[in-house]
Amino acid sequence: MRAIDRRTWLLLPAGLLLTVAFLGPVGWLLMRAFTFPQPGFENFELLWQRPVYLRVMGNTLLISAIVTPIVLLLGFPVAHMMAHGSARLRRWLVFLVLVPFWTSLLVRSFATAILLQRHGVINSFLVGFGFVDEPLPLLYNLTGLLAGCVQVLLPFVIFPLYSAMARIDPALMNAAATLGAPPLRAFVRVYLPLTLPGLMTGATLVFISTLGYYIIPALLGGARQQMVAQLIQDQIATFGNWGVAGALSLVLLLATGGLLALLQLTVGLKEIAR
Amino acid sequence: MTRPTTRRTLLAGAVAAAASPFAARAQGGPDLKGTTVVFASWGGAYQDAEKVSYCEPFEKATGAKVVQDGPMNPAKFRAMIASGTPDWDVADVTGGFLEVGIKDGLFEKIDPKLVTTSRIDPRFVSEYGVGCIVWSSNLGFSTTAFPNGEPKVWADLFDLKKFPGKRTLQDAPTASLEVALLADGVAPDKLYPLDVDRAFKKLDIVKEHTVFWSTNSQSQQLFVDREVTAGVILNGRVYDAAQKGAKISLSWEQNIQQVDYLVVPRGSRNRDAAMRLIDTMTLADNRAKLANLIAYSPTNPEAFKAIDPKLESWLCTTPANIKRGLVLDQAYWRDNLARLTERWTAWKLA
Repeated sequence: MRAIDRRTWLLLPAGLLLTVAFLGPVGWLLMRAFTFPQPGFENFELLWQRPVYLRVMGNTLLISAIVTPIVLLLGFPVAHMMAHGSARLRRWLVFLVLVPFWTSLLVRSFATAILLQRHGVINSFLVGFGFVDEPLPLLYNLTGLLAGCVQVLLPFVIFPLYSAMARIDPALMNAAATLGAPPLRAFVRVYLPLTLPGLMTGATLVFISTLGYYIIPALLGGARQQMVAQLIQDQIATFGNWGVAGALSLVLLLATGGLLALLQLTVGLKEIAR
Repeated sequence: MTRPTTRRTLLAGAVAAAASPFAARAQGGPDLKGTTVVFASWGGAYQDAEKVSYCEPFEKATGAKVVQDGPMNPAKFRAMIASGTPDWDVADVTGGFLEVGIKDGLFEKIDPKLVTTSRIDPRFVSEYGVGCIVWSSNLGFSTTAFPNGEPKVWADLFDLKKFPGKRTLQDAPTASLEVALLADGVAPDKLYPLDVDRAFKKLDIVKEHTVFWSTNSQSQQLFVDREVTAGVILNGRVYDAAQKGAKISLSWEQNIQQVDYLVVPRGSRNRDAAMRLIDTMTLADNRAKLANLIAYSPTNPEAFKAIDPKLESWLCTTPANIKRGLVLDQAYWRDNLARLTERWTAWKLA
């Protein structure tokens, strides 16, 4: 019998923690979708019969699908500068990107509100300089929600992109140019494909994180930006209805899993893991 | 809904209470030495005030020790009862949870031999809980937005011509539907069962002009930032914002009151000591102390004798303000909250 690599034991603490603190409770919650208040599929029937649940679920997926490309587009140039700029610039950028991590989500959401509100920084500027007559509705609607999500999620895209870009040999772009590719073509055919692992990791992290957002839609979104985590929280904390909460979680999990599988088929999770 | 209570009957009750056998026992000295009572509440400044106003006098009088825990959480409360040995002996719960818990058998009955409930306004006493504080949903408004007269009644909230500007409502059907129906002319004693269709129809008028708040600090901030000019907000939050210099005021007309209750979780290991802690919490002096610290309205009418008169205009249980309000029917909401929350969400999305 072959001996197991002794280093495998190093996985034990993390594995145990994951099982006890994550897999156990989550499995238990998902089980309850089928067992609470009694065994059967009544919780799923309820989700199906009341359009509001599916609507909020669809809403959540849609918001995540809007947030993800925005974060990617904004994060890409930052990561690029971090990977290919001077060491000094890199230090500054890493610092600036990390600062928000040291601040609570709640504080950052309120800060976003201060910028966007009716008499806030942006509107005061726009109205003060006569760009607009009336303050723009930037808060308590989709705009406010997107602004909040994007600012919180940027680091999740910047760091994976940075690590992918830092590994790209700068000589490759020179080679492409030497071989006659104009800059745009070299970027699309050579550079972009090489950033794909980082891009996919970032996109996946952002998409999945957004699905679970709870504080930001409550603080910055409007009536129509209800997201599914708020419903799950209501079901558990207000109604003690673990069954419906479990069913909602399971549907969300399956939808997320399905989308990841789709990603796997089209781009390949192997790219992400590489 | 509301049972009429005259101030006189309440006073009579309080006098009778003072003469009850408890008075003798309270002077009986520290007979609970060695007992530990765990008290769970909502944390923050409120629980700090409860500690000073209720728990410390109790410790002094009985020799027991009170351990502070929390925050109160319905799911956690249920899990404790299910386990058979709750960690908490006394908990401060919302009126909504009181009704749910009574139905599901989560509480010990209040023991009339140990708790003198007659000190408390009978509107705020239940077989399973004793009301500790009352708070109300009020019509709050900006004091600078309406120079030609301020909004007064809920109907004004829906009058966007006379009172222009954005509105705010709590992101929940509770109290919001009552507000809409009162605004639409339903008499307070005819409110329940709620005419839900009529309420949502009324709410349609302001929906597009409304920012929904989900935390209390948010409701306050909306007025501070001049994001809204009028809306539904809790009395304590208007007080707090006004203290901090915000240009905000409130109307007491048609205020909708909700009560927090003190309960003993079923199976408490210190049931009798827990009951006696609740009894200490009903004393007028202790109630007044809490109100002076945090401006939450007492359920013991006698407490007003010792409450700073400056605070009275902010409290919902003063003789003047209590008359203008009504108490939210928590039993109705227990049976309808899930259904109406669903409808509320659907209404918002539509």
